[in-house]
Amino acid sequence: MALLNVKNLIAGYGDLRILEKVNIVVEEGEYVAIVGPNGAGKSTVMKSIFGLTKYIDGKIMYEGSDISESPTEEIIKLGISYVPQNENVFPNLTVRENLELGGYIMKNGREERIQELFDQFPILQAKQNDKTSTLSGGQQQMVAMARALVLNPKLLMLDEPSAGLAPDLVEENFEYVDQIRESGTAILMVEQNAKEALRRCDRGYVLVQGKDRFADTGKALLNDEHVRKEFLGG
Amino acid sequence: MVGYYNTLREKVQNDRGTALVLFGLAILLLDLIFKLITGETRSQIVATYLWDGLVIGLAIGLAGVGLSLTYSILKFANFAHGDMITAGGFSGWVAVFAVMGVGRFDMKNLLLVGAGNPINVTELGISVSTTPIAILFGLVVAIIGTVLLTLLIDRFVFRPMRHHNDGIALLIASIGVSLALRYGLAFIFKTQNRGLTAASLTASYSVPVGTGSVQIDLGEITLVLVAVVLMVCVHMFLQYSTLGKAMRAMADNRDLALITGIPTEKVVRATWIIGGALTGAAGFLITLERGTISFQFGWILLLLIFAAVIIGGIGSVYGAIAGGIVIGFTSTVSLIWIPADLANVAVFSVMVLVLLYKPEGLFKGVTTA
Ligand SMILES: Nc1ncnc2c1ncn2[C@@H]1O[C@H](COP(=O)(O)OP(=O)(O)OP(=O)(O)O)[C@@H](O)[C@H]1O
Ligand SMILES: [Mg+2]
Repeated sequence: MALLNVKNLIAGYGDLRILEKVNIVVEEGEYVAIVGPNGAGKSTVMKSIFGLTKYIDGKIMYEGSDISESPTEEIIKLGISYVPQNENVFPNLTVRENLELGGYIMKNGREERIQELFDQFPILQAKQNDKTSTLSGGQQQMVAMARALVLNPKLLMLDEPSAGLAPDLVEENFEYVDQIRESGTAILMVEQNAKEALRRCDRGYVLVQGKDRFADTGKALLNDEHVRKEFLGG
Repeated sequence: MVGYYNTLREKVQNDRGTALVLFGLAILLLDLIFKLITGETRSQIVATYLWDGLVIGLAIGLAGVGLSLTYSILKFANFAHGDMITAGGFSGWVAVFAVMGVGRFDMKNLLLVGAGNPINVTELGISVSTTPIAILFGLVVAIIGTVLLTLLIDRFVFRPMRHHNDGIALLIASIGVSLALRYGLAFIFKTQNRGLTAASLTASYSVPVGTGSVQIDLGEITLVLVAVVLMVCVHMFLQYSTLGKAMRAMADNRDLALITGIPTEKVVRATWIIGGALTGAAGFLITLERGTISFQFGWILLLLIFAAVIIGGIGSVYGAIAGGIVIGFTSTVSLIWIPADLANVAVFSVMVLVLLYKPEGLFKGVTTA
């Protein structure tokens, strides 16, 4: 049984249909990338899984149960965390406060978990009492990921984690994602940096106009002539 | 480049504005010192203005904290806030009148705070000095009553509208709530202004200043002390409790709060509870200090409260307090130079100055909630 299984999902905003039968599978511990042109509906896939869009039809199965119409609060409790594309930290709160709120629903062990994350991202420990808006873009992205990791999710959804970062930081960011994945968390990632994402992931999907056009291992997609020509710039 | 030039120009402009304001204040200060030396103004008058300004400032500040809190978290300007203050005042006094007058006066009239026929307040004998327990009881009832009222209003008016996420619609609804509350209160408690406490029983202290003295009464002292304690509590709550942090997070980014797993409806309810508690306390303390109540005192105060909140930076709790104190001092200290009828002109001129030179308010961005 797959960890996440999206079957023929149709979803959108209000009367607007954006996703037209999307199929995506993420196995336990797997690293899956979604690439595709602007406006294809990549972010919408993530929002739909997280209960933030209008569900119309299809199925979203998580660990064998149907979460298609579950509210966001329930989905978080089941072990999915989500880092949105933009505005993904609380800028006026300190770094530590951001992480504390990431663990808002935890009954106990929050401090220990935050310490674990500080060990993983030492720079965040050094800056824990700084207002998050004073951090650099790369560091804020780290705060955003750490915030989502406090609950120790089984599946972490990252929407364009390297967007807007300087080139050397992009590489660093991908390494952090690898690191998270090595700790056993499955990853579903949307990336503008398609080649790099496909090189690193286990499997990838090419999403076009609300449909999954291609699905294969990352390497196979990279080597696929159509995919290269159409979506990876040759 | 252009962006850089613009920010630079903005900085210079802002600094020029600040410089102008400081220059103006310096001239006024020099003039005041001159007046004090020549004896045109006596020092006990200045001391009296400062004390009165502090009392007014803290009253407005306390009333403003609730407004700012709901503004920053629920994202709308609540025009019913003034009438919630009035409701808080009345609910507290209903309780105090009932416990103080039971057996001696007609209970129905007591529960209407003397709406039927005026109650002789000297005979009733309420004052902070002689009946502190009854006053404390009134404060607690005012707080609880206002909290219940705000929760009720949220449940039946604001919550059904919340998912539209439309600040203007909520604002208009709040004007409706304001009218309904005000005239509901007028219907029950009638429209005449009436006394609450026995002024002759309230302890008053003379603090010698210069050749004279400043009169400070226990009602004012109570207001100042309770307001400061409540403000410190709100600060600690917002800064250090998990729920307080969640409220600040919601003020920052509501969608992200939801995604993070913060139970947003619960946080909204907590906001109303804390905002309502502060509002009720403000209503009771202000009427205690004045010794009188009328059905529209909160509504009349609302304009000054909005001014305070705007001066401080709307949405900032510390800004509301600072703005309240700026207004308090302006409304009294300005009397050294201008007649009392113009005090509000001074207050709103200060507001306009702040809007011109620091449109985001004194505290916006400096603080977290
Ligand atoms: N809140 C919304 N309400 C209405 N339409 C929306 C909303 N968010 C996105 N859309 C529309 O849905 C479509 C897909 O948007 P989405 O953000 O999912 O694309 P994307 O693949 O993530 O693009 P990008 O690479 O630019 O991030 C777009 O046409 C967009 O205009
Ligand atoms: Mg997107």
